Amino acid sequence: MKKLIVCGLIMLSLVSVTKLIAADKALQIEGSTTVGPIADAFTEAFNKTYPDIKITVTKNGSGNGAAALIDKRCDIAMMSRFMKLEEFTAAVDKGVMPVAHTIALDGVCMIVHPSNPVTDLSTQQIHDIYIGKIKNWKELGGPDMPIVVVSRDTSSGTYETFDHFIMKKVKMDAGVEYVSSNPQVHARVKTTPGAIGYVGIGFLDAEVKGLKVNGIMPSKETITNGTYSLSRPLFLFTNGFPELGSLSYNFCTFYLSEKGQEIINAKGFVPVTHY
Amino acid sequence: MKIIIRCILDKIFTAITWLTVFVIVILLLLILGPILSRGTNAVVFRDTIEFRKMQMALLNRGNETNLTAEISEIAPVRQKVYDTINKFKSGIDTDALTEQVRKIYRDCGQELSYKKLTPQQYTETRSLLKDIRDRLQTAFASTDKVQIAKCTSFVMGYADDERFKGTSAGDFFRIAADFQKAVEKIDFAKHLQYVQAVGEMEDLLTQLLGPRPGEALPATAMNQFGATRWDLAEKLMDNLLWKEQWVSQKSGKSLVKIRTERAKEFAGTEIEPLFGYIKDNLEKMLKPQWRFYWQYFIDDSTPGHYFGGIGPEILGTLLLTLLSMVFVIPLGIISAAYLTECTTDNFVVKIIRMCINSLAGVPSIIFGLFGLAFFVLFLLPFLGFSSKPCILTASLTLSILTLPVMIRSSEEAIKAVPLTYKEASLALGASNFKTFMSVTLPAAMPGILTGVILSISRVAGETAPILFTGAVALGPVPSSIFHSTRTLSYGSYDMAVGDRLAAMVPHNQYGMVATLVILVLCLNTSAIILRSRLFKKLHGH
Amino acid sequence: MNDSQINQVLSPTADVKHQPLVLSYGQGLGNFLSLYVGRTILFLITCTSVLSVLLIFFFIIRESLPFLQKFNLTEFLTNTGWYPQAEKPQFGALALIVGSFYVTAAALLFAVPTGILAAVFLSDIVSFKIQTFVKPVIELLAAIPSVAYGFFAIMVLAPWMQRKLGFTTGVNALNASFVLAVMALPTIVSVAQDSISAVGRELREASYGLGATRMETVFKVVIPAAHSGIIAAIILGMMRAIGETMVVWMASGNASQIPHPWWDLSQSIRTMTATIAGDMGETAKGSDHYRSLFTIGLLLLIMTLCLNLLSEYFLTQAAKKSGIRK
Repeated sequence: MKKLIVCGLIMLSLVSVTKLIAADKALQIEGSTTVGPIADAFTEAFNKTYPDIKITVTKNGSGNGAAALIDKRCDIAMMSRFMKLEEFTAAVDKGVMPVAHTIALDGVCMIVHPSNPVTDLSTQQIHDIYIGKIKNWKELGGPDMPIVVVSRDTSSGTYETFDHFIMKKVKMDAGVEYVSSNPQVHARVKTTPGAIGYVGIGFLDAEVKGLKVNGIMPSKETITNGTYSLSRPLFLFTNGFPELGSLSYNFCTFYLSEKGQEIINAKGFVPVTHY
Repeated sequence: MKIIIRCILDKIFTAITWLTVFVIVILLLLILGPILSRGTNAVVFRDTIEFRKMQMALLNRGNETNLTAEISEIAPVRQKVYDTINKFKSGIDTDALTEQVRKIYRDCGQELSYKKLTPQQYTETRSLLKDIRDRLQTAFASTDKVQIAKCTSFVMGYADDERFKGTSAGDFFRIAADFQKAVEKIDFAKHLQYVQAVGEMEDLLTQLLGPRPGEALPATAMNQFGATRWDLAEKLMDNLLWKEQWVSQKSGKSLVKIRTERAKEFAGTEIEPLFGYIKDNLEKMLKPQWRFYWQYFIDDSTPGHYFGGIGPEILGTLLLTLLSMVFVIPLGIISAAYLTECTTDNFVVKIIRMCINSLAGVPSIIFGLFGLAFFVLFLLPFLGFSSKPCILTASLTLSILTLPVMIRSSEEAIKAVPLTYKEASLALGASNFKTFMSVTLPAAMPGILTGVILSISRVAGETAPILFTGAVALGPVPSSIFHSTRTLSYGSYDMAVGDRLAAMVPHNQYGMVATLVILVLCLNTSAIILRSRLFKKLHGH
Repeated sequence: MNDSQINQVLSPTADVKHQPLVLSYGQGLGNFLSLYVGRTILFLITCTSVLSVLLIFFFIIRESLPFLQKFNLTEFLTNTGWYPQAEKPQFGALALIVGSFYVTAAALLFAVPTGILAAVFLSDIVSFKIQTFVKPVIELLAAIPSVAYGFFAIMVLAPWMQRKLGFTTGVNALNASFVLAVMALPTIVSVAQDSISAVGRELREASYGLGATRMETVFKVVIPAAHSGIIAAIILGMMRAIGETMVVWMASGNASQIPHPWWDLSQSIRTMTATIAGDMGETAKGSDHYRSLFTIGLLLLIMTLCLNLLSEYFLTQAAKKSGIRK
């Protein structure tokens, strides 16, 4: 009897496995955790129009997105930075022609706990905090409280933008905590009174306090007109320009539609077009 | 005297050991307590009408006639809130007005292009439209009453113009007239303050009650409904009544959180009594009901697990477990049979045993690395498949991870079969193989089953090995074993740290991890019971 | 069911009755061949575990070898700067190695005394009845998935630590090592209990007969006699703690620093396992960073294997001792 049950179980699993082997039409999207939420919401809206199409969004960082596009493991790579020269050459060598679609603008904001009285930091001060020269909020006019410095992990696109604008290739202090996603930075800062971190503008809300950088508050306006310095475009990369009318084409041009822009707005990013 | 001290010390020691074990039991309760109690909240809770709307809209579940009746029942109660706000807002919310004017301009321009006009007429009318729009925008942006009056009267001058008959331009003049009236009435100093406060209030109301009836539905599901749960509604209600602000008490010190009544911001206006009205009528507006949401275990979820259940995660976990059991059960039993029945303790067997022990000691993350390097990056391309983490690679990795568990427990089970059984069978002339298949294996089956259950619980709970070999946080339900899948374990991780939407729905965070814990604990408890029964059976009498 | 099957085999049924008592030559050869061919197949299948271990080693070494050729191993082991993505990348894993040992040591500090006391409790103090209640509880502690422990650490313990203990950050070495201690406990308890129970009754009786109290018997007779098994238990607990990924990744804070001052458990640290888990997700395959993570994995693998061999040595010692006594 028991043997029968075990045999039955094994048979059942084999049957289910063989039934599952048939693959179908799908869209693979991989890359930046910053662009991820946009792609998720696009997918959600997309699935309403094309219910039988499977879209997989894997959020594993810009670098992996690029690598996956180069190896033809994905159809669309989400990237929060432009492709590096070596990635581009590697792609061309493998017969992949990366084409960029700028889908939204994003600002990297400095965030602190809402109880923190500090409102404005200069790029130099942020730099000094992250290299460990400034260790206490007291030095910045705040309360006597050690600074808990939170950073994205070093392979993320957000880190690269931050590194480009603030760190200028100078190494961060060893005491910096690394977390592996934007929401995690948000969560760390939200719960830690002495913390400072940086996130995409989409993650700025009432639970954390955004800081002015060089006297300018990050907002949709300041990002669009370029006065806020820590801003960057977000990209989708495809292999060649997608064939008109194809699934990738529809996905990559979705941001142009009113609905797409609404989603980008709702996710807290800045649309590139004004309708 | 000395004996007394020794006795007391002895007693103290006994007490300490009791205490230690007590602490361990308490720890278990402390860890499981919050997870399980808050996890239950995901399945049993008080829902609101928004929840029933959501179920109907997304899953077509529920009784449509009842729901429509309920919606029409609550509509007047809600409408009163909207009407009051609308009345207050008309004329002061300049941002919305600007947006509206831009839209009218766009629409109107389109209408013009359909009309039969000469190119010159078209250009003229179009530039006039633009002029009207710009003047209205100047009026909205201005704080000077005289300037506003100048702008609006300019616009009103065209109200009876033939060219705009039958187009949406009529709205321009209506807005201009309304605005002019509102401006005369309102205390302009407080104007911007009101706009902001009403905006905040409306945002909260949308979160609480969902978008207004007749309003265009937002693009994402999470914004299409109000508070779907009563506990959430109460939290939002609190936010609506009380405004939290961080204020500085002394320079150079941390800011302090203070709560002020939101109604005070609207002192003396028609909005002020509205807060009391909403508070008193919240139940009427949301119609809470107790619900046992068992579909939590089969439903798919919207991004971030904001709505819905953990169906795909459970399915993914089951698939991974089943598939890895397909690999590991035969391997484990055969290895155990060979080690117990076919050989003596020679050098080769010693090496095999050493390897099994080493395998058991390898950290789980190393299996993840190995699975990535071998199965994903080497074996799949080698066999001609695309090199993508998928269910197959994840379950292969997990089966290697759990192989030692399987071998060891099967071995113990086979060893525990009394020698007399086997001897009796052999004495009757049955071959070794036959004896093993029809005597030893059936007798050892409960023990082997214990091993299987333990392996399943290990596989279901592991996260590190599948991080790079096939688990994703978000994705479609897999349709083949070459797709990656969501699992309970990785989902629990992602819900805890990786997803901001998840932080807004703590019941779902806890629900996922509680399901995983309950699943694993049930498996383990059954294994423990099975083992004790087996123990009794083989050694009891 | 099983019994009836066995009875079936034991009872002289038809096919047994007609079995010839002497085998023909062909039958003998067939049996011989099937026996040996069968055995070889079984042997090959059994070798899967050996193959797995070899493959694990081979592939981890294969992926980390280019890194070891390109960068200096001594620098890898002694430098504290972990900047894999910098313009001039620096791969100094010392802080990570220290971090791993740091949480492990702190976890053992909690877990070893508790574990040994609980083991003594189970074997020497309470009746069999309570034992059957307490043992499953400890086993359940072992069964809870590590991600659930991590969840508990970050969602429940970390906010509590910040609120009640006033730490600047709730995810820190103390949090991680406390949870690791709870996870290592079951291993330590069960292995230690086995070896303590294996200490013969006569030793205990001799000690009691000389007038020793129970505490004295435990500390002066039982534990010294069972020391190899207890050491093995500690090593196994250590392996569990050092190889654990999810908990340390979620609860340790992931700052690659060596705590200063060294006893300050309230600081964030980063372990080897957490680095692999955290960095691998976003690293481009085939890059130096990717290979450096495999090198950390190799280091971890070698360390756990050494610990494993050590624990086996102590376990055989323990088995020998109890064998002699018996």
